[in-house]
Amino acid sequence: LQRHVIWLAIGLMLVLGAGCRPSASDVPGAEADLTLQPDPPTVGDNQVILALTDEAGAPIENADVRLEGNMNHAGMKPSFADLQEVEPGRYAGTLDFTMGGDWFILVTAKLPDGRTLDRKIDVPGVEAK
Amino acid sequence: VIVSATERRAARRRTAPDRRTSFDVLKVPLIGRFLRWRYSRIALQTPVLLLSLVMIGHAFWGPQLAPKNLAALLTWVHFRGLVVLVILLAGNLFCMACPFMLPRDLARRWFSPRWEWPRRLRNKWPAIALFVLVLFAYELFDLWSNPWWTGMLIVGYFAAALVVDSLFRRASFCKYVCPVGQFNFLGSTLSPLEVAVRDPGVCADCETKDCIRGRRAENDADTPAGKSKSQLPIIQRGCELALFQPRKVDNLDCTFCLDCVYACPHDNVGILARLPGEQLPVSGPRSGVGTVERRFDMTALATVFTFGALLNAFAMISPVYALERWVADLTGLNVEWPILLGLFAVALVLEPAILLGGAAVITRWGAGVREPVLAIVNRFARSLLPLGFGVWLAHYGFHFFTGFLTVIPVTQSAAENAFGIPLLGEPWWALGGLPESIVFPMELGFLGLGLLGSWMVGWAIARELAPRRTWAGFAPWGVLYLVLFIVAVWIMTQPMDMRGTFLG
Repeated sequence: LQRHVIWLAIGLMLVLGAGCRPSASDVPGAEADLTLQPDPPTVGDNQVILALTDEAGAPIENADVRLEGNMNHAGMKPSFADLQEVEPGRYAGTLDFTMGGDWFILVTAKLPDGRTLDRKIDVPGVEAK
Repeated sequence: VIVSATERRAARRRTAPDRRTSFDVLKVPLIGRFLRWRYSRIALQTPVLLLSLVMIGHAFWGPQLAPKNLAALLTWVHFRGLVVLVILLAGNLFCMACPFMLPRDLARRWFSPRWEWPRRLRNKWPAIALFVLVLFAYELFDLWSNPWWTGMLIVGYFAAALVVDSLFRRASFCKYVCPVGQFNFLGSTLSPLEVAVRDPGVCADCETKDCIRGRRAENDADTPAGKSKSQLPIIQRGCELALFQPRKVDNLDCTFCLDCVYACPHDNVGILARLPGEQLPVSGPRSGVGTVERRFDMTALATVFTFGALLNAFAMISPVYALERWVADLTGLNVEWPILLGLFAVALVLEPAILLGGAAVITRWGAGVREPVLAIVNRFARSLLPLGFGVWLAHYGFHFFTGFLTVIPVTQSAAENAFGIPLLGEPWWALGGLPESIVFPMELGFLGLGLLGSWMVGWAIARELAPRRTWAGFAPWGVLYLVLFIVAVWIMTQPMDMRGTFLG
């Protein structure tokens, strides 16, 4: 019985492992520049400005931009924000940091041509109030 | 050996049958029947082993983002939280369902260990060193945010258990090496359940002592004729941690494996209810453990357990940033490990030495005790455990209660990544846990219970040590526990502020 359990477990692990792939951006060379207000960011609502540029440095317009903020510690509920375009290539919104510490923001921007831009931006040291 | 009157009284208390309640988990319908089944432990270990292997797979091949990785989430939020809560509400059930023992048992079918654990290491020092090492690595490498290293830690655990118990007989890994096991042993002194004999009178008449020796095959047609009893194969092992049930006291070193239950030919071992912590003040020799109040390694273990709880929580709040930066500015250091090493040395060695030594000196002077200071420290070390356990409960309980539902979206996400389709539905990231406003009073409750427990155990020890001047003997320890309690409350009121980016 124990032998079967071990082999079953190893098989499960391999299936799970084989299926997991790191997500890759399909917009190479594009830049996502994030600005937070206040700076340094604090617990609570923070204003977010995201500037998207393509590989030639031109603003990426009319993207559907969503942010997901996570603490680097497991077990914390993420915060989400949908950004609105305020200028060509500049997107604004509000993101709630629920706790002090180190955060990272996952940027997902769906471009008008169907491609998706994924970026991870570290936000260290969100200050507790 | 001179045995004092108080020790004789304590021995009578240990063996008095009326100290037990009549509640026995093994007599509860269904649960009792399941646990009495010889393969119940394997049945509990198997799902935990499968889960561990899924975690290892996700640690190495899943997303390297802790909040989205099952290894990081289940290890640092669910496992830690459930361990302390289950110990509080029941007993050492994690060791009972320990997955590390399953590969070891499998390996032992082909590979019999030949060596005895080295005599010089038959103490808690190896486990203390590993306990501190794990705490240090947790802080230095930010393990809470690092799925890959969390996976390596789990793999390392499996490998260590396999290697140690493949080389050395009995449960050497559990008794002398495993830091999680030591944590569980100490915590389960505060548990409401204990594996214990039902009727000491039955044990007094027992001639085989199978609970410690193991049960051997009957000399029938299945076994070679002409063999003496001691040459027959063991068909049910006895306690591998050297706990002889009639003389066993408390849950120290007990993994709840229930080997003694299965081995006892008189069905005289149960899982009995008791008052949590009631046996902590008991003095005198304990089977398999020795005389706790004369073992400095046990004192060190209790100290690391308690002050380590405070340090582990302190390292997660804002003031530790300021402290580390102040030390960095003062010394010119631009790497974290020496600063962290200094912090550990102060918190786990210097501070306890001053506080415990100071309390013992005052007790010695105030209560007129003739024992050396170190002997007094050794006596009172046990009374740190309730408060230490309260701090672990408050800290791990915070993470667990505020984030226990996050396992649902992370599992959904893992299934989607593994199979390419949302097999368990789209991740429901809105799930979290209880709000902090509800969890904080629970933290205070855990700390308060810990303080009360330490006061009660400390008082009992002081009464035994100085029957006529109990107040004078207890006062410094009572004040010390109160100070540690206030420090713990202060830590819990600080906003969590993990220092993952200190000094870059």
